[in-house]
Amino acid sequence: MQEIGPSRVEEARVPFTMEGVRRGFVAAAKILSPGVTFYALVFGVVASEKGLSAIQAMLMSAVVYSGSAQMAALQGWTDSAVITPLIFTILVMNARYVLYGAAIYPWLSRTTPRQAYSTLFFLGDGSWAMAMREYDAGYRDAGYVFGSGIAMFIPWVGGTLVGHVLAREVPNPAAFGLDFVLVSFSAIAAMQMWRGKSDLWPAAAAALAALLFYRLLPGGWYIVAAGLAGGAMGAWRHGK
Amino acid sequence: MAADNTFYIAVAGMAVASYACRIGGHLLMGYIRITPRVEAALRSIPLAVMVGIVTPAATAGKLPEIAGLAAVALAMKLTGKDVVAVIAGSAAVAVVRWLLPGT
Repeated sequence: MQEIGPSRVEEARVPFTMEGVRRGFVAAAKILSPGVTFYALVFGVVASEKGLSAIQAMLMSAVVYSGSAQMAALQGWTDSAVITPLIFTILVMNARYVLYGAAIYPWLSRTTPRQAYSTLFFLGDGSWAMAMREYDAGYRDAGYVFGSGIAMFIPWVGGTLVGHVLAREVPNPAAFGLDFVLVSFSAIAAMQMWRGKSDLWPAAAAALAALLFYRLLPGGWYIVAAGLAGGAMGAWRHGK
Repeated sequence: MAADNTFYIAVAGMAVASYACRIGGHLLMGYIRITPRVEAALRSIPLAVMVGIVTPAATAGKLPEIAGLAAVALAMKLTGKDVVAVIAGSAAVAVVRWLLPGT
């Protein structure tokens, strides 16, 4: 990797030590791992529902590694080979990581590129939030960001396997409402993300776009349309 | 789809898209400033996607799904625990399907 960008911060390197990795891993394992494990179990069940093998589900969790985006992609999973909406779903769902990467740039730009780009692979919502808190408090060992990411990655991939195995124990998942888990989780996430009246317009735009494109196009396009409509509305309403 | 090579092509594409998002902000910061308006758009997207997933299920007029969403909302209000709410949602869907087969 070469140095990227004309305004790349050329300050002193920050440390990236095993001690930092361990510190981040332990902190995130305590706070984040239980939630990640449960979400991974859910993903494993849904993946099994959609006909993925255990290996396929684990592979997807390991290389795509993003809970809500993988869930949304599975929702648009159909028997026909419609790959483009799946990729757009990932892009739309994970667009927030562009913001995360920008916010943590002052820290990671002072590591080696190899350290920065491997750390970014394992970045999760929770580990990013924890890392930003540490950075605010004056902690500078970037191994922390890597370690806290690993503490999410391991339960995510392992939990996917366990969920997939458990799902096969259930004779008819629909009879137990397991096919409803994704919708439940999305509703919960929406309630938790809700910050107030400023979210009303983007949410309304997303709902309208989803209804329209759900009827118009196959696969997961309605999810992409909802995300883009909400984002556009959020930008337009900014400062109003 | 899961049975053939299409699956692996799809996963490879999704992996590249996912990693591109993760390194995107890091790469872009060398070139552009993320304005408050751009930030507002990025912050609106996750909620919008969640609303997008729920809306078709909520408006299809099927009783099990409506009961499920009501159970999820109630459980979140009462307990605030997402694990409990997911279990309540699936339980409500299962019960209504059991009471009214074919819905």
